[in-house]
Amino acid sequence: MIYLAPFTYPFIIGAAFMFLIVVWKYAMWFIDLPKEDVQKIKKGIFSKATLYSVWEIFRESLLHVRIFKRSLPLGYMHCSLALGWFMLIVVGWIETIVYLGNSFVPLYGHVFFRFFAAPVLTEHFWILDFLMDFFLLIVLSGVFLAWIKRFSSRLVGIRRTTKHVLTDRLAMSFLWFVFPLRLLSETVTASIYGGGGFLTGSLGELFAAFLPSQLLSSLLMPFWWCYSISLGGFFCFMPFSRYMHIFTEIPLILLRNWTLRPTLDEKSYDKFEIQACSRCGICIDECQLQKVLGIENVQSVYFLRDKRYHMLRLATAQNCLMCGRCQQVCPVGINLNTLRLSTRAIMRNIPSEQRYNYFNGIDRSCGEGRVGYFAGCMTHLTPKIKISMEKIFKAAGEDVWYADSEGSVCCGRPLMLSGETDAARKMIKFNEELFRKHKITTLVTSCPICFRVFTEQYNLEGITVLHHTQYIASILRSGRIALSPEECSYVYHDPCELGRGCGVYDEPREVISRAANLMECSQNREHALCCGGSLSNFVIDDFQQQKIASSVVEHLLLSGAERIATACPLCRKTLSRATERRVMDIAEIVSERLT
Amino acid sequence: MAVKNFGFSISRPRTIDMDKNNLRKSNEILRELPELQACIGCGSCTASCSAGLLTQFNFRKMHTLVRRGEYEGVYKELSKCMLCGKCRMVCPRNINTRKVVLLIKRTLGDF
Ligand code: SF4
Ligand code: SF4
Ligand code: SF4
Ligand code: SF4
Repeated sequence: MIYLAPFTYPFIIGAAFMFLIVVWKYAMWFIDLPKEDVQKIKKGIFSKATLYSVWEIFRESLLHVRIFKRSLPLGYMHCSLALGWFMLIVVGWIETIVYLGNSFVPLYGHVFFRFFAAPVLTEHFWILDFLMDFFLLIVLSGVFLAWIKRFSSRLVGIRRTTKHVLTDRLAMSFLWFVFPLRLLSETVTASIYGGGGFLTGSLGELFAAFLPSQLLSSLLMPFWWCYSISLGGFFCFMPFSRYMHIFTEIPLILLRNWTLRPTLDEKSYDKFEIQACSRCGICIDECQLQKVLGIENVQSVYFLRDKRYHMLRLATAQNCLMCGRCQQVCPVGINLNTLRLSTRAIMRNIPSEQRYNYFNGIDRSCGEGRVGYFAGCMTHLTPKIKISMEKIFKAAGEDVWYADSEGSVCCGRPLMLSGETDAARKMIKFNEELFRKHKITTLVTSCPICFRVFTEQYNLEGITVLHHTQYIASILRSGRIALSPEECSYVYHDPCELGRGCGVYDEPREVISRAANLMECSQNREHALCCGGSLSNFVIDDFQQQKIASSVVEHLLLSGAERIATACPLCRKTLSRATERRVMDIAEIVSERLT
Repeated sequence: MAVKNFGFSISRPRTIDMDKNNLRKSNEILRELPELQACIGCGSCTASCSAGLLTQFNFRKMHTLVRRGEYEGVYKELSKCMLCGKCRMVCPRNINTRKVVLLIKRTLGDF
């Protein structure tokens, strides 16, 4: 067989261009990886993690199981396009081998096999024809769904679909035409030479029956040309569009299983995460800024998009509650909050040697004990929580060192959230030294914001860090305090930092159910709503915060509970501004029911 | 004749001549964050301030001075702020005080 046809050139050029760009991009990103990451790759490459990754790549890059879990039609759309196309390639290879044996076939010979083979083949394997047509039909159904999604995203199970940039639109337009054109080209070929499966074959017979053969042969080349051009066009724009995710998800899954993670300092690995985003738009629906306030263009998908194309504005980067709801549902598993933090750090970080020199020698702690209590700035503004904790410590007979009873250096997380990582590290260092100096073995805090930074960023070897709900749960279990339950029902609001941030879901519930009746709302635990008062958002004003809080209160009270319980001073304050009902911290509930 | 030292003296004149001051930066800040104009100078922010508890840092004074066009030393003072957010929670005028801190620092730069 002779594989020479000018119509293949657009495809060849496009494919070569895409290949070069993609390889070049990945090479650059790999070269820039920091040393620790390279070490991790070396350690992981010959381990079980790699085998597992192959399975995960199959499951997520082809089947898209996580998107299926989210919405059936959306999952089908992604799966049919990815798996269908992949199978067309695989069966296409098998087809050439079956028909031609081991003889050499160039890449475009595989892609345009029907064109080259139809005139010369005499016998047909119906199963291969059937499979090729079957997978083509699958892909076409996916393309059809993609069209529908553009017109009405609700039909495929999401409320909003992503707004795209120019390269996306170009690549997408080409992609939309690739498979319909393939169908037409193969149909016309089949109408002239016969062959084809249940789809192209029968359509071909139909064409042959109703259209003059002269017309058909004059259409043959233009269709193959258009098919080749649409493929080539798609490949040309692909590395600069969101479709880069098709390939990037593969190295990302490998690297992630080799334990690479984004950090507060931007690094080359981030690029894999950023470009693995398919802009599926699943994260948009989760965002309360969108749902409650109608703010568009700041959600994670837009943040990643703007960052990738170097058009990110400070106002976009800073308009986020860092609630982590989007991260929870992202099917690619991108570390969206960390990426936003490291980006804020580049945009804002102003190192200064002298900053916070006034920390020197500050120690406003009091008391003596192996257990340290760090109330946190926010708790100082909700003194009831602090007083309740003091009462609980006393009831348990605990000797407590109060780290910040007369003022303190902040834990550092609020500053870190603004992007000033270097300055925040000074606070971290100061507090670490303070805790060490007083030789505590357990550190209890009432504020989930402090709790998160203590566990994630502090080096507190030898000190057990507990949120007060965990501490209370443990002294309840060991019988050091006892409660007389009250006849009142509470719905528990999971604070973002404690729940999604630190994975503490059970202890707060355990404590409440020992003190009163615990009720649940539908969006709880990993899917809990953010109270709106988050320190991470520097853009929305107080009224917008309160609007979010009102919507959260409304949802919480749907559970039928009389009161709201939470475990964060900031949530408590924010929610209580939005309702007449009592909003209480778990420490308050417990201290009222102490026997 | 030597002046007797009573242990205190007449305080420095604190008149601010708004006609002389260059209000360009101040206007820029107020344009970006108009809600700051709603400040009633109650001082709750200063009273609750974590940094104010440890130093002489006075947040109300700082943003008031800036609005009056007095920028000297403000950047350095504001660098004492730990961005803890207590002031925002107590402000009766619902001013996004953490944004005030960031915005002033960004607009003024190191004076
Ligand atoms: S960030 Fe995740 S959920 Fe959002 S568009 Fe990208 S892949 Fe989808
Ligand atoms: S972290 Fe929360 S506020 Fe930020 S983009 Fe995600 S869902 Fe929206
Ligand atoms: S608390 Fe608010 S209103 Fe009062 S001085 Fe501070 S900024 Fe102004
Ligand atoms: S955010 Fe800054 S100004 Fe406000 S209370 Fe905290 S330290 Fe003081």
